[in-house]
Amino acid sequence: MSRLQVRKVRRNQTIWPTVMFTKTDHQFLDEITGKPEVKTSLNIPSNSSEFTLPVYIKAAGGKTFLIQMSRDWDVARIKMFIAPKLGLKVEDISIILAGKSLADNLLLEECDLGHNSILNAVKLKVVKKDDAIPTNEKKSGGTPFHQDKPLCETLLDLQLTEEEQKLLHKSLGCSSPEYKQKKAHFYVYCESPCKSVQNGKLRVRCSLCKAGAFTVDRDPCCWDDVLRPEQVSGTCQMEGCDHSWAEFYFKCARHPSQGEMDSTLPLYLVKSNFKHVQCLACMDISDPVLVFQCSSSHVICLECFQQYCLSRLNERRFVFSPNIGYTLPCPAGCENSLIDGTQHFKILGGEQYQRLLHFGAEEYVLSVGGVLCPQPGCGMGLLADPSCRRIQCTGGCEFVFCRDCLQGYHIDECQPNGDGNFQSMLTSTEYVVDPRRAAQAMWDADSRVTIRVTSKPCPKCRTPTERDGGCMHMICTRQQCGFHWCWVCQTEWTRECMGSHWFG
Amino acid sequence: MANIAVQRIKRELKEVLNSDEVARCSIHVELVGESFAELKGEIAGPPDTPYEGARFQLEIKIPETYPFNPPKVRFVTKIWHPNVSSVTGAICLDILKHQWAAAMTLRTVLLSLQALLASPEPDDPQDAVVARQCKDKPQIFHLTAQHWANAYAGGPSINTDYENKIRRLKDLGVTEMNARASLSSCDWDLERATEQIFS
Ligand SMILES: [Zn+2]
Ligand SMILES: [Zn+2]
Ligand SMILES: [Zn+2]
Ligand SMILES: [Zn+2]
Ligand SMILES: [Zn+2]
Ligand SMILES: [Zn+2]
Ligand SMILES: [Zn+2]
Ligand SMILES: [Zn+2]
Repeated sequence: MSRLQVRKVRRNQTIWPTVMFTKTDHQFLDEITGKPEVKTSLNIPSNSSEFTLPVYIKAAGGKTFLIQMSRDWDVARIKMFIAPKLGLKVEDISIILAGKSLADNLLLEECDLGHNSILNAVKLKVVKKDDAIPTNEKKSGGTPFHQDKPLCETLLDLQLTEEEQKLLHKSLGCSSPEYKQKKAHFYVYCESPCKSVQNGKLRVRCSLCKAGAFTVDRDPCCWDDVLRPEQVSGTCQMEGCDHSWAEFYFKCARHPSQGEMDSTLPLYLVKSNFKHVQCLACMDISDPVLVFQCSSSHVICLECFQQYCLSRLNERRFVFSPNIGYTLPCPAGCENSLIDGTQHFKILGGEQYQRLLHFGAEEYVLSVGGVLCPQPGCGMGLLADPSCRRIQCTGGCEFVFCRDCLQGYHIDECQPNGDGNFQSMLTSTEYVVDPRRAAQAMWDADSRVTIRVTSKPCPKCRTPTERDGGCMHMICTRQQCGFHWCWVCQTEWTRECMGSHWFG
Repeated sequence: MANIAVQRIKRELKEVLNSDEVARCSIHVELVGESFAELKGEIAGPPDTPYEGARFQLEIKIPETYPFNPPKVRFVTKIWHPNVSSVTGAICLDILKHQWAAAMTLRTVLLSLQALLASPEPDDPQDAVVARQCKDKPQIFHLTAQHWANAYAGGPSINTDYENKIRRLKDLGVTEMNARASLSSCDWDLERATEQIFS
């Protein structure tokens, strides 16, 4: 008999297990599925037939079988198939998926299973009757306990308010395939192998021994139930484990399961855009979208969200919140709109997300008087002797620069950054308009050179700040600094500056 | 330019061109070149202000990170207003700086600028000289703003007194524009303006 430890799958994630079935297994499978042989190349979902689905059955003792099932099998048929292998009576077996013991008449295709999903087959500790549920759980206000369907089915509307559910119902009709598709609205960021936002599947395990053979006492009814520990109780079906708290986790629905530890954090702000709301930035109607937690529930498409995060990262404008870490508010400027789950920034992609993780360290460097390397694409935090103007990006790009002007290092005085002739440029363009055409007078095109973008380091924290030719009153764009300074004097902005050189 | 910025500007142009304000000729926007990075805006001076009947052209530059950062806007048409530099046309308006929000559009910017013309904020000035006049000598400020609107932006009211003073300075070899700027900043005191120019 073929036995495959799940652990093996985990250790060797890129190579898919080749399962050798014994002759009897083959014959048995042939008999039931009517297929001549078992496919063992399982890593390409589209490759396998519409009707077959490779599924792992994990028994109480830890034994795991890979079985090629047919999508039209019901749970009773699975039980019949595995009973002799487990040495159990059919009526003693329970098949557990995502916290629920599945009803006999449930079809496999209704179960939200992907390739290489794991079903747990155990002899239930708790009798499958309502009165087996502890009385205190009955009193608690959760959704009624559904024995028959897997948790993922009863949970799909978790993201929606009651009103939204009704709307979805009304607009699509609950039996339409489109409705079912729209309902699958958990999203995750799959870091590997998909490297993108994908649909997610909700799964449950014992929070102590991490076994998937765990049945819940009630359905979670809000994100708190799912995201915070010890919210939903249940029974761990593993022998020797009496733990009674469920732990929820999410899997990427696109790639074949890579074992029970292949989990990821849910992007609970990402939702199906079934109301067809415009993105606040590009004004397109996209799906899915990210919905901010502001009172207006502003919507942004994922592409624009990336752009937004990227520009704020480059401008060092991520906001620090003691409970959340570095994060961002709704770009429409709403109050109390900080994103409170930083996993949403994974949407930025691996490289930029890593930059964000360094952001905190860099902010620390700045707060203790250090300097960030001004070389584009470097930005290494450097703690250099404050009395020394020459700084080298040691351990980074090795650029040697001047602490005061952030240009390449120089021995004599800092150059005024090509801006010293600002005054003369202004006066030279002051008299250009032909008086006879005075009614249409405008500053002539040449004065645009004064609008040239130049940058100087903030006198307080040294973050390069751009000036576009507006006024000389500069406000450091770095969120944690915000220093008001004068472009001309490169010191704090004063009334003196306002009076003598506000605009050049 | 970034795809999002381009797409957004395309949609905003449509929004502006279909708006009531355009129908009433109160605001206007058009592209400069084909890049979507620069636009030309125009606003009509609001009624019951010294700018009534005049039209002001604006230079609008769209940053790469639009709409997450504000457009860079300045007056191309010369204007006498405490929140606009009388020299460069730079504008001091909170929504073009830290109060910008991604949900704002070119239309809201132009309407805000119109509102700024109707209610100057001399306590947050871009042009200190104009601001002082606006606060201390509102009568002169009103006439000066009206005169500039006439001279540069097609405003209707002609101020012969001011024009005579400008002509006096022009006779001394001063350009009209310089004469107007000096007289305006000296509250139309011809003696002081002459002193300022020739000192
Ligand atoms: Zn994936
Ligand atoms: Zn357990
Ligand atoms: Zn968008
Ligand atoms: Zn918002
Ligand atoms: Zn460096
Ligand atoms: Zn230097
Ligand atoms: Zn700073
Ligand atoms: Zn200064």
